[in-house]
Amino acid sequence: VELTINGTPRATASSPVTPLLTVLRQEWNITGPKPGCEQGGCGACTVLVDGEPRRSCLLAIGTLEDKDITTVEALGNPVKLAPVQKAFNDRYAAQCGYCTAGMLMAAQALIDRTDGRRGEGGREPVTREQVLEALSGHVCRCTGYVKIVEAVIAASTGEFDGAADPGDTEFAPDPTQPEAEIRGTPA
Amino acid sequence: MKAVGATLPRYDGVAHITGRTRFVDDNNVPGQLYAKALRSPHHHARIVKVDTSRAESLAGVRAVITHRDVPKNVYGHLEDLGVPADEPLLAEQYARWKGQPIAAVAAEDLDTAIEALELIDVEYEELPALFDIRKALEPDAPEVHQWGPVYPHFGPHNHRRVRKGDVDWAFEKADTIVSGVYRPQAIEHVPMETQAALAIPEPDGRLTIYSCTQAMYFSLGVVASHLELPLNRIKFIGGTVGGGFGGKVDTASETISAVLALKAQRPVKWRWTREEEFLVSSTRAPWHIELEDAVTSDGWILGRRMVTLHDAGAYARFSPYGLTKHAFHHTGAYTIPNLKFDGFVVFTNRVPTTAMRGFGVTSVSMAVETHITRVAEVLGLDPWEIRLKNANRIGDTTGNLVAMQDPSTVPVTLATAEAVGKELASEYRAMTPERRTGDLLPEHLVAQQAPEGVHVIDRAGPVNASQSNGQSSNGGSH
Repeated sequence: VELTINGTPRATASSPVTPLLTVLRQEWNITGPKPGCEQGGCGACTVLVDGEPRRSCLLAIGTLEDKDITTVEALGNPVKLAPVQKAFNDRYAAQCGYCTAGMLMAAQALIDRTDGRRGEGGREPVTREQVLEALSGHVCRCTGYVKIVEAVIAASTGEFDGAADPGDTEFAPDPTQPEAEIRGTPA
Repeated sequence: MKAVGATLPRYDGVAHITGRTRFVDDNNVPGQLYAKALRSPHHHARIVKVDTSRAESLAGVRAVITHRDVPKNVYGHLEDLGVPADEPLLAEQYARWKGQPIAAVAAEDLDTAIEALELIDVEYEELPALFDIRKALEPDAPEVHQWGPVYPHFGPHNHRRVRKGDVDWAFEKADTIVSGVYRPQAIEHVPMETQAALAIPEPDGRLTIYSCTQAMYFSLGVVASHLELPLNRIKFIGGTVGGGFGGKVDTASETISAVLALKAQRPVKWRWTREEEFLVSSTRAPWHIELEDAVTSDGWILGRRMVTLHDAGAYARFSPYGLTKHAFHHTGAYTIPNLKFDGFVVFTNRVPTTAMRGFGVTSVSMAVETHITRVAEVLGLDPWEIRLKNANRIGDTTGNLVAMQDPSTVPVTLATAEAVGKELASEYRAMTPERRTGDLLPEHLVAQQAPEGVHVIDRAGPVNASQSNGQSSNGGSH
């Protein structure tokens, strides 16, 4: 089977019924997509197939001849992040991080899909309902989803399109925050 | 104090959003084998015979282990506190829960490992199983554990006790007695990342273990103990936990992977399936809680009697610790001067239970908070007011005689009332956590108060020798 993975033509001799997830992780060491349930139920293994979000644990590699596969590895890298990645980072949408790659791919697909309908002269953010529908098959056990939904909506507004990369994570006090008040007496 | 009040980036945020965080299963090493465990299909059975010879001769199988391959097979989390070990890593004469590992295999690929499991012959003699903690103490209950129906090592007792004040006096004096039964059930943690380990035997005899544990040095100790190796022969690599919620403190996959790796002298990876995670990984314990409160018609709680049964599953693990926390919190955020608490860790033929988000405390909080609302309903009082009235104050003492220094019940309750738009009478709105005085210090609450400035009460002595109902004692030493 020959296909394109993150822009690179690849061929595999794996049995045609081998799941794409297994080929990505075991054969090509592309470990961004995660095995969560391997039954299509959790979304952690989501990749884009010709731009559409798909569960890589359920896709037999034999059905993917000539397909174009995109994983989180192609979305951006630490010094050149995609807007949706910056939004997830800024809004603390990743907690343990295990579901994040799948969430990002579904979010990117939603933003790509709706972008053309925003019309000229400015971008309309995706609606909360659209985000909930796009992420409905994605399980997160840490966050409660609130921050993830916020991040996807924020990314869709274009707010992060020109944003700086996070770069060095050494913190500086936020001048907009009041000085913390120290309560009680340290023991 | 530069960090307090500042909004800080996550140190691991960029790794998460680029898919570069390396969870255990993302690591692959040359020569790596794949593990699978043979698990008991019965809830309770005697293991008559285990024959692994056919599995061992299957092409591609590099190691098969049973309990005989484990240097110290039986382990207990509380051994350092003098509690004997009770749980085998791999079952010996008995399988005590459905899913308990009996043997494990490491093979060149996963399919071969699965095939090898089918070639292990085990002869079982099925035994009656116990699932209902309420039936564990009946005379004809199935024998589940070598220690009997309950964990017997709470100091001199077979249960965790709290005694404070004079509970009989409270129930004689009460206008009303309100009782309730609460039964929070088992919950699976369902982390997105299932249990996983990668154990690598190093050429110098050391062992490197990639682990999803929530407690690195604790799990290191568990593995070292089973292998009878000094701690400095084992290196743990972890810190990337794909969700744990308490379910990754039990060291579920590391030790078996390590035993296989040492026997095969090859790296061994073991990642549990989602099905295994649901069916055989530990859960939050089911509980049975019976409590009754002695109350006055104007809403004071004079005393509480409580019995808790904690379902440990088939082995003790951390259950005595969870029940102890439960005991410490059995008055909730309220001050009750007269207490009698008895808590039992009960063995059943269920998967052993463990920590989960507020180990032992969520169950008791659910019971206590539901019950105090029930008390208010029975008395025809406002459930907010009864909470504020009985709320912990500075100088009040807990069931185990810790004096409150900064109790938050009053401010939290007031803030909650405001957030939900609950109107409170001015006398309640004006409440603070300061020491009780005046109407908030009725006679029955005087004896339990710690003297001003005293933070810890001597466990051996009464709170205040001059008070008639101030006698206090605690059972158990750990």
